[in-house]
Amino acid sequence: MSTVLLDGTEQLINGLMYGCFYALIGGGFTLLFGVLRRFNLAYGSTIMAGAYAGLIPVYLFNAPVLVLFVTTIVVSVLVGLLVEFCCFRFLRKGHELAPLMTTIGMLIVIDETIVYLTDAVGFKYPAPFGDESLALGPFLIRPDYLAILVVSVVSFSAIFYLLYRTRFGRAMRAVAERPDAAQILGVSVRHVNVLTFVLTSALAGIIGFFAAVSVGSARPEMAAWLTGKGLVVMVLGGLGSFPGAIVGGLALGVLEFEAVWFLGSSYRDILAFAILFLVLIVRPGGLLGTRTA
Amino acid sequence: MEYYVAIGSIIGIHAMLGLSVYLVAISGQMSFGQQGFFALGAYLAGLSTALWGLHLLPALVLGVVVAAAVGLLVGFPALRVRGLYLAIATFGFGEIVRLAFLNVRYTRRIGDRVVGPNASEGFRHVRYIYDRGITPLEYLGIILLALVVVVILFYFLERSKLGAKLRAVEEDEVAASMIGINVTRVKVFGFTVAAGVAGLAGGLFIHYSSYIDHDMVALPLAIASVTYPIFGGLGSFVGPLLGAVALVGLTESLRTLHGAREFIYGALIILTMLFRPRGIVDEALVLRVKGWLPLRAARRPAPAP
Repeated sequence: MSTVLLDGTEQLINGLMYGCFYALIGGGFTLLFGVLRRFNLAYGSTIMAGAYAGLIPVYLFNAPVLVLFVTTIVVSVLVGLLVEFCCFRFLRKGHELAPLMTTIGMLIVIDETIVYLTDAVGFKYPAPFGDESLALGPFLIRPDYLAILVVSVVSFSAIFYLLYRTRFGRAMRAVAERPDAAQILGVSVRHVNVLTFVLTSALAGIIGFFAAVSVGSARPEMAAWLTGKGLVVMVLGGLGSFPGAIVGGLALGVLEFEAVWFLGSSYRDILAFAILFLVLIVRPGGLLGTRTA
Repeated sequence: MEYYVAIGSIIGIHAMLGLSVYLVAISGQMSFGQQGFFALGAYLAGLSTALWGLHLLPALVLGVVVAAAVGLLVGFPALRVRGLYLAIATFGFGEIVRLAFLNVRYTRRIGDRVVGPNASEGFRHVRYIYDRGITPLEYLGIILLALVVVVILFYFLERSKLGAKLRAVEEDEVAASMIGINVTRVKVFGFTVAAGVAGLAGGLFIHYSSYIDHDMVALPLAIASVTYPIFGGLGSFVGPLLGAVALVGLTESLRTLHGAREFIYGALIILTMLFRPRGIVDEALVLRVKGWLPLRAARRPAPAP
């Protein structure tokens, strides 16, 4: 095989694995948007808060990675509930921009709290999967990417099961479809909203863990970066479409990795946003979305 | 004194950004991309004075024209989508501009300095106001003069037929098009003018600070510009002005509090949205104030809702 083809394939594999990570982020945004019809711009900050908090037991008690992982999820859920309480629960209906602004306010509050507590320093993260690349035939594969792939598949399966095979999932889809009708039929919309926050925030914990592991540290820039990618993936796949988020995430991952390889790393982010802009204009419903703007 | 001049300059520049977002907002749209036009205006105006040796006025005009032209080009396709979609699309645009400037290198050696956009180094040494001996206080005067011009423009725009059309589009696009308003044209017009205003703010900023880089036109600036009109209110152009004065003033007066400063800022946004989702100066307040001015109310009957 020629080198170009070989390199292209290696980047394709890496892109697909990293795309799983993007799909997780987009999935979190999408689930919330699907149910509440509102953006949660504080989602990136929720993820970051979890990632930082997970380090506390490690630094204090030298706790194992599993404890770190669980702490990340627990703290993310707590922060997510705080976001729901402060930004959504008491908001008046009918103002589309108000929730956008409250979550921006929350984004600032969470980010600044973390910056204040950590002096804006990155904290080193353990590398539980080692840092030696695995050889798969002629291709080299990073072990943490492989872990991301496995965890993503497990998470997505769990979420699909939850959405389509459980009572709660049915309630969630009902609220997403028609909140008023769901309420009349005895579904507690508030209940579903809170549980959706718990679910997406638990996902945020998983994302935070892997984001920090793949970079090697918990950093204050994480929040903005994750929010940007999440929005791109969500739009790419179609707002509110969960399968769309998976497709969008994989597509973005592959595109970015190929772009880095063939065009250079400075084009990576610009490409992502150019695609975002084009998709919004040409196909506002996204790749798999049915709803039009 | 110098400190207050600096704060005054920042307030003036940010008020223009707030007005820019406001103009998009009163046709019912939300833009998170005005910092992109701000950057365009800043780079163009900076290039004009620092490299091409232009006077400040034509430099600012060039920045405004280019920003507005790009606004027109972006507005046509982008305004086909609305609401949250547009918010993301405009943010995407802002990031494209920012990342483009992160990669642009166009420098010249002047004396012992490298002047011009220098990729991630930013655009340094725009020394126009220092070289001409313009004091910060005089430059504050220039900024405020520009702001007054913009405010007068907004004052007449709000009272014009076009202003009414913008509000009509916000209220109900279908109804607006039914009575013969070309919705797209009205929205694109608002977006273009808004882009020009943001470009003006950028041109004034780069000469104020002598320096700009891509980090200064990232998400935080987008958030700040959106916050002024939303916090200050969408009922009248007084809203974003009030928002800029109050919020920039607040962050500056809380400087001694260090970490708590931004925290209070964020909390304030949340509380405002919970209690006044249309900002402090909302439509109800504007109507009430107009009611206090009996002469005005008598001369011009309130339009039917």
